[in-house]
Amino acid sequence: MAALMGCFSGAASPGRAELDKSDFDRLEEALQPDTAERWRQIPWRISLLEGQRAAASEGKPIFIWAMDGHPLGCT
Amino acid sequence: MLDRASTFADPVVVELLTTKFIPVAIDQAYQRRQKDAEGEFYRKIALQGPRHDFEGSTTQGFYAATSSGKFLFYSNHRGPGGEAGLVGELNRALAAAVDSADKGAPIEDGERDQRYNPKPPEGGLVLRVHSKVLHGYDEPKDRVQKIFQEGRGRDNFWITASEHEALAKGALPESLQRRLVRYHFVDNTRGEPPMWERDELRSLSMTLNNGELRGSVSLSTADGKRSFDAEVLGYVESSGGRVTRMDLVVRGLFEGCGEYTKGPPPGKFPFAISFTIADRSDTADAIPPQGSRGWVDGYFE
Repeated sequence: MAALMGCFSGAASPGRAELDKSDFDRLEEALQPDTAERWRQIPWRISLLEGQRAAASEGKPIFIWAMDGHPLGCT
Repeated sequence: MLDRASTFADPVVVELLTTKFIPVAIDQAYQRRQKDAEGEFYRKIALQGPRHDFEGSTTQGFYAATSSGKFLFYSNHRGPGGEAGLVGELNRALAAAVDSADKGAPIEDGERDQRYNPKPPEGGLVLRVHSKVLHGYDEPKDRVQKIFQEGRGRDNFWITASEHEALAKGALPESLQRRLVRYHFVDNTRGEPPMWERDELRSLSMTLNNGELRGSVSLSTADGKRSFDAEVLGYVESSGGRVTRMDLVVRGLFEGCGEYTKGPPPGKFPFAISFTIADRSDTADAIPPQGSRGWVDGYFE
């Protein structure tokens, strides 16, 4: 199986090295999120109306973490 | 980024939000504009707070409200919890909610504003994206700077059904390659990053041979103030016409920042990104790509 392709121009820039399997394994591990972070223990919902319905059903107030960019993403 | 490592690192805040509140996390750029029931409910709450220019500026912050939309508090301080901080506000909100005995009827979704409710392509794939500055920062001047320097990016990469089908056959569609690098080879570790314009993609070479994906990419703004030169290595496996594994890592030298990602390491710094198929076990797997914000057709063009 072989395929393709997409080449706009192919010259590699200086200052970067081709990756090998050991780089792959090391980087993949290094980029894993820390699942022990406390904010992850909070049962965030991402639908405000799902939250509203749960709040109505459970008799609890709603807390909204509203950001520019998604708070569970890049901000 | 800052909230995660400060406000929401307070165990009392975590306990209160987990047991006494219904916690919701949103990108308010959607809800403050949505022409549907969710948008109306958000604006009803925000209108009672200090930020309610829904067209012109952000309404970001922390809000608490009853299920009927009765406003309990707004805060935009970005510090630790504590009685003087968010813990105190949460406790006062709880007391006010009990006193008001206010309870709203459940609100159904109704017809959703499609512009602000993009869904992953049916038959496509969602890949989790993680990113990190590997090193190069100066010594942090304070706790806040340290938090930003340790920040990690998180996003989702959406792949269409036709691209998925091609990948499963061992091909690597050009549309996928371009979307991958323009919207996901970005430094999103300190906030919302600028995406790459079409003409900022200087070179791109990617191949998929016998399940091994290799690539070399060069991106740069016209003035050269922001750039990323990177190598890609990945593995793609498929079975029964579906991709069962798509793991990629990207490593290269990044330089510069955007308006909302200031404070990068000086000069060119090592930066890495990883991709893997989202299994929906993380709530964040359902978030639309940052690059699709407000215009999902542009993300897919």
